[in-house]
Amino acid sequence: MTRRLWLVAEAFAVALVAALLALLIWRVVHGNGGSVSGALAAGKHPAAPSFDLTRLDGKGRIDLASVRGRKPVVLDFWASWCVPCIQESRRLQRAHEQYGDSVAFIGVDTKDYSPDARSWLRKHGITYPSVHDGSGSVLNRWEGQTLLPSIFFVNRKGDVVGRLQVEEDLQRYLRQISES
Amino acid sequence: MKRFLFVAVLALVLAPAAAACNTHPTLAAMEGQIMCPVCGTTLDQSDSPAARQIERVIARRIAAGDSDCQIKDRLAAQYGEAILAAPPRKGFGLLAWWLPIGGIALVGALLAVGAWRWSRRAPAEEVAVDPSQNGRGALDPALERRVDEELARFDG
Repeated sequence: MTRRLWLVAEAFAVALVAALLALLIWRVVHGNGGSVSGALAAGKHPAAPSFDLTRLDGKGRIDLASVRGRKPVVLDFWASWCVPCIQESRRLQRAHEQYGDSVAFIGVDTKDYSPDARSWLRKHGITYPSVHDGSGSVLNRWEGQTLLPSIFFVNRKGDVVGRLQVEEDLQRYLRQISES
Repeated sequence: MKRFLFVAVLALVLAPAAAACNTHPTLAAMEGQIMCPVCGTTLDQSDSPAARQIERVIARRIAAGDSDCQIKDRLAAQYGEAILAAPPRKGFGLLAWWLPIGGIALVGALLAVGAWRWSRRAPAEEVAVDPSQNGRGALDPALERRVDEELARFDG
């Protein structure tokens, strides 16, 4: 009986180690491949992962699923501690003034302290709505890592068509999604 | 075994004291208890802008008279529980505090039971040993006869 118990315990321990090893291998192999950024790099145009986050201005929440399919979306991941985000958000603000009727601009304030983020929005004159992603889980799903600023373009169908990499991408993608 | 029980009871008694809030926290002390959200280290080991921002928030809250618990709760509400370097001593976080203690207690108990059973085991019966055999079995009779003949010839 004791020997049988030992065998069961040994089998359990071996199975546990094998499962942990498999999990580690899966994590290493997949890495950031599960993110939107990874899919775009592989030449795919995945459906925009939805999120439902609180607005920084206190006017309720924004559920991306409710916007998807009705309007193209520009998603701007930013934080008040991110210095390059200032210039990108100002450029997006100008684009918002130009395309705001046909394209929804949404800021996602990431890993940030929301009172500081509100001051930052006021200071830089950003008027398109922003939501708060304090833990960075939404950024992780889209970008796969903490990389700010990160700007994604979603067409009217709800597919992510691209990610801003160079300055010229902004106008190119805006034209593309506003005509979608 | 008694020593283990003593340690376990002591841990139980001291746990609430360790969980008590500090009403006069310092920035230096808190920097080791809060994670930088973008670098995976505590604030005191990071020089990133995100870490500097949280340090400013902590300094402001200390000046406003918050306890360390209030500051941690505020930061956890903003950034999620992962901002805390140690899991909270409540709810599911308690598991992280008690699991190692439980594991040590369990291993200690198993060792104690094993040692007790080993010490109570009856000693094995001693086998009578013939010194002339030098720990080996008896010789084959034909071989023994031959050895005797050889020895007799040697003596003769």
